[in-house]
Amino acid sequence: MKLLVCVKRVVDFNVKIRVKPDGSGVELANIKMSMNPFDEIAVEEAVRLKEQGKVTEIVAVSIGPQQAGETIRTALAMGADRGILVKTDATVEPLAVAKILAKVVEQEKPDLVIMGKQAIDDDANQTGQMLAALLGWPQGTFAFKVAVGEGSIDVTREVDGGLQTVGLKLPAIVTTDLRLNEPRYASLPNIMKAKKKPLDETSPETLGIDVSPRLKVIKTVEPGGRKAGVKVGSVAELVQKLKVEAGVL
Amino acid sequence: MNFDLTPEQMLLKDSIDRLIASRYSSLEKREAYRKEPLGFSEAIWAQFAELGLLGLPFSEEDGGFGGGPVETMVVMEALGRGLSLEPYLTTVVLGGGFLRHAGSAEQKAAYIPEIVVGNLKLALAQTERQARYDLADIATTAEKTDRGYVIDGQKSLVLAGDSADLFVVSARTSGEQRSQYGVTLFLVDANTPGISRRTYSTQDGGRATEIEFSGTIVSTDAILGPVDGGYPFLEHVIGETIAALSAEAVGAMESLHQLTVEYLKTRKQFGVSIGSFQTLQHRAVDMLMALEQARSMEMYAAMMVGSDNADERRSAISAAKVQINRSARFVGQEAVQLHGGIGMTMEYIGAHYFKRLTMIESLFGDTAHHLHQVARVGGLVAAA
Amino acid sequence: MDLRFTEEENAFRDEVRSFFRTEIPAEIRRKVSEGRRLSREDYVISQRILNARDWAVPHWPLEWGGQPWTPIQRYIFTEELLQAAVPLPLQFNCYMVGPVIAAFGSEEQKKRFLPRIANLDDWWCQGFSEPGAGSDLASLKTRALREGDFYVVDGQKTWTTLGQYADWIFCLVRTDPTVKKQAGISFLLIDMKTPGITVRPIITIDGRHEVNEIFFDNVRVPIENLVGEENKGWDYAKFLLANERTGIARIGLSKERIARIKRLAKEVPVGTGTLWDNRDFRARVASVEIELKALEITQMRVVATQSKTGSSKPDPASSILKIKGSELQQTTTELLLEAAGPYALLTGDQIGAGPNEPPGGFDWVDAAAPTYFNNRKVTIYGGSNEIQRNVIARAILGL
Ligand SMILES: Cc1cc2nc3c(=O)[nH]c(=O)nc-3n(C[C@H](O)[C@H](O)[C@H](O)COP(=O)(O)OP(=O)(O)OC[C@H]3O[C@@H](n4cnc5c(N)ncnc54)[C@H](O)[C@@H]3O)c2cc1C
Ligand SMILES: Cc1cc2nc3c(=O)[nH]c(=O)nc-3n(C[C@H](O)[C@H](O)[C@H](O)COP(=O)(O)OP(=O)(O)OC[C@H]3O[C@@H](n4cnc5c(N)ncnc54)[C@H](O)[C@@H]3O)c2cc1C
Repeated sequence: MKLLVCVKRVVDFNVKIRVKPDGSGVELANIKMSMNPFDEIAVEEAVRLKEQGKVTEIVAVSIGPQQAGETIRTALAMGADRGILVKTDATVEPLAVAKILAKVVEQEKPDLVIMGKQAIDDDANQTGQMLAALLGWPQGTFAFKVAVGEGSIDVTREVDGGLQTVGLKLPAIVTTDLRLNEPRYASLPNIMKAKKKPLDETSPETLGIDVSPRLKVIKTVEPGGRKAGVKVGSVAELVQKLKVEAGVL
Repeated sequence: MNFDLTPEQMLLKDSIDRLIASRYSSLEKREAYRKEPLGFSEAIWAQFAELGLLGLPFSEEDGGFGGGPVETMVVMEALGRGLSLEPYLTTVVLGGGFLRHAGSAEQKAAYIPEIVVGNLKLALAQTERQARYDLADIATTAEKTDRGYVIDGQKSLVLAGDSADLFVVSARTSGEQRSQYGVTLFLVDANTPGISRRTYSTQDGGRATEIEFSGTIVSTDAILGPVDGGYPFLEHVIGETIAALSAEAVGAMESLHQLTVEYLKTRKQFGVSIGSFQTLQHRAVDMLMALEQARSMEMYAAMMVGSDNADERRSAISAAKVQINRSARFVGQEAVQLHGGIGMTMEYIGAHYFKRLTMIESLFGDTAHHLHQVARVGGLVAAA
Repeated sequence: MDLRFTEEENAFRDEVRSFFRTEIPAEIRRKVSEGRRLSREDYVISQRILNARDWAVPHWPLEWGGQPWTPIQRYIFTEELLQAAVPLPLQFNCYMVGPVIAAFGSEEQKKRFLPRIANLDDWWCQGFSEPGAGSDLASLKTRALREGDFYVVDGQKTWTTLGQYADWIFCLVRTDPTVKKQAGISFLLIDMKTPGITVRPIITIDGRHEVNEIFFDNVRVPIENLVGEENKGWDYAKFLLANERTGIARIGLSKERIARIKRLAKEVPVGTGTLWDNRDFRARVASVEIELKALEITQMRVVATQSKTGSSKPDPASSILKIKGSELQQTTTELLLEAAGPYALLTGDQIGAGPNEPPGGFDWVDAAAPTYFNNRKVTIYGGSNEIQRNVIARAILGL
């Protein structure tokens, strides 16, 4: 079984984001970039499936500038077998990403696509769903656990207030949630091996996909600073404040 | 000219940085590791093995991964950033260095694979009480007998000496006490009869051991490198160790500087963040300059440590150590000062960086020692 | 201009010098010199010996045990005491709360407290700093609400030096939150045994229990423990801090440490000789001594001015003494660290069984780094050196 895993290059989750002075977006110059954490979980799950003997080949795909190649290298060092970089310097919106991925799926014909439920930069939470729609494939989103069977996959999903298991016919799309697994660190031997793994390059143009944006960013603002807390004298006062001032009770 | 890391080095950096960031995310965790029986986390050590870090500098034929000084620098920086307690420097850089440069094929085959999987830890038994920083000042003797060699003498400041399974021991087989000629290195199993150890905790949360060899018998297989010709290896491997230690210092300074700048932004006095006082801003800037100067010399050391020109290599390493020491002292002192009272407490991680940096200064030659080395050969710029 | 002391002054110096070196137990002086921890008892013994000679509080008013000494004699006394490695009479008692009570306290308070302060029958600690009020001391929040004959105190003090030994604490508390922050502060004396007080240790960087956090929860303090007038505490605090800063140069202490370093350097083997044979090391020591000499003369100039004007008002120049003196104290600890060399790494804590021998064969090296670490405090407390520079810029330079 062949598996496609999607990896996005985003601002590292440890970096304190700063908004550009003109509000057009966030500061990216000289900022540490890493693989989207949910995508790491996706890669980890893919590698585990391979280690269990359920998957024979893992292809890692990234869409982005030349440096997104580094993100693919990370996936290769974690255990993916080969990479495809769809190179573009443009800002690619979720729909365009989904279209590109659909095209790649068409060419690669994987049995399963695993990707993060969202990317921590734009928090869109759309790409997986759009890709499923474009391909007409079943989807198991927010995966907490996956179990691959014969021509099918059971995906246990995190939903409000509990878990839900859905059975999907392959080929299918799975998007990962935080608790699916704990991604490994790339080991030295695997880093060395990754050096020799193939990384192909293509582009949206070659794939025939128009990535021109359909959305316009009007404004980006920093989150407001946390307000100072107040000390309450009694439980009664607390309840009163929660009711009247916070309006949460 | 190129100061960039290769993609593989970046991946290595990413892995080790993240491992350390998660394992050493708080002072409480570090304290818990320190209180483990060996004074560090065996689980983390196992993880180092799993990631291949323990095999980093060994050649692929020997079972390692062929990393060079830059890879070691990447790892040591991360260990410095996290104030890691694991004996990486002593086992992989020091002990491993002797095996790599002086080990016979049999010795390499016997020990390197064990190091790589995390089963074997090494320490260097070299310093003696009277020696201070003179590597050739060795009074411990190794007397040749029909059963091999008999070692007698005292060694001091054996870093991580209590958890080590195997010692690299320098002993005199001929020559005067301070002569470079006549030093022989031995690989000595820590459990050999005639070895007694006394271990102290060190000011920075580590451990160091005083070792006494009395009539310790080792076979001729234990000889590491040429008889009477151990000194050049001592110097070379300790040079590599200084380069690695420099990287650790830079990592620690980087964390400490970052902590300080964060503190300046958050601590409020007189109704404003203390970072708004220009005098403190300038101090933080001076710390940054000290850090960057140190970083440059760290890189210089990493790039020069492999040089075949021994004179050039020596001066470069000494010059690096001087800069590292000075920056370490400056950054450490300023960080405490800018924190005020809180910087003076054991509860605050910043204080522990300061202590480690202070100890790095005195390891393998203090500022005065290395400054003297550079000056002795006429400095770094040729006279006109 | 004349640097020499008069004959009387020389005689005085000899008298105090020999007293310190013969009467104060050598063991206590050794601990001070080596930077070892003093027990509560050590402080008490030493101070009571001084007090029995009427020398614990020579700078106090005569009627409360002071001596009719000139500023020069006082200077000689303190410098000789420090050079003999005698513990300074407990600062909180003799240099802080004592002078404040003597100057602003009621007759009743003077009678009740001053003799016990001088004899260290009561151990006092200083409750000024709070988590949010360090350099900005006036922003302190610990409040004292008047309820009949009591103040009810709530809040937290921190960095309280040796609070674990204290019988009493003198505190700055907020008695009026409605006015400008300096104007609503009072100076209260609080018995540490009062219910509602909790002391939590803070371990400092050298591994010692030197400072504490002190929590006040509904602590009832009799109103007769207010010093002076309500809401005038800030004035008393300024008076106290100025006293704290004079004599803070501690030149005698630095001299004592340098003398000791020289002795140690002659014992540390290097090559065929000792560390003292190393010319670079000697030059570094000499260079510190030169700065110290300059500071000593500066200190003498301040003292001479005081004797001429007869004014005991603190001089803004005392900030210069504090800055330079504290920096030199720190520099001497750097020399000590250098003398210990690689052995500075070792603590005296041996892991596992075996005879407890001094590490590295030197019985002093394990205290070198802790002394260096601990001395980082001297540029932080008593008004940090940054704050002192602000004072000089404002008060002397008019910036
Ligand atoms: C030898 C020489 C050659 C020069 N050549 C040229 C030239 O070819 N062309 C040209 O245009 N100019 C030239 N200059 C001018 C030079 O750029 C100015 O002297 C410089 O910008 C400082 O301005 P200033 O002399 O007015 O000092 P000021 O700006 O008045 O500064 C006085 C002092 O205050 C400090 N200061 C000022 N503002 C701050 C602040 N916000 N925070 C902290 N400190 C502050 C300064 O650092 C300085 O120490 C030259 C100057 C010299 C000395
Ligand atoms: C070992 C030790 C013992 C102590 N003992 C006592 C005691 O017994 N009783 C007691 O009440 N207190 C005690 N203190 C507290 C001491 O007085 C405070 O630590 C000191 O006032 C500094 O306050 P802070 O620690 O809150 O630092 P902060 O005031 O937060 O200062 C942090 C940094 O900012 C700088 N800074 C602050 N304001 C300015 C400014 N306006 N301009 C320039 N720089 C500025 C400071 O110099 C410092 O470098 C002790 C402190 C220590 C370390």
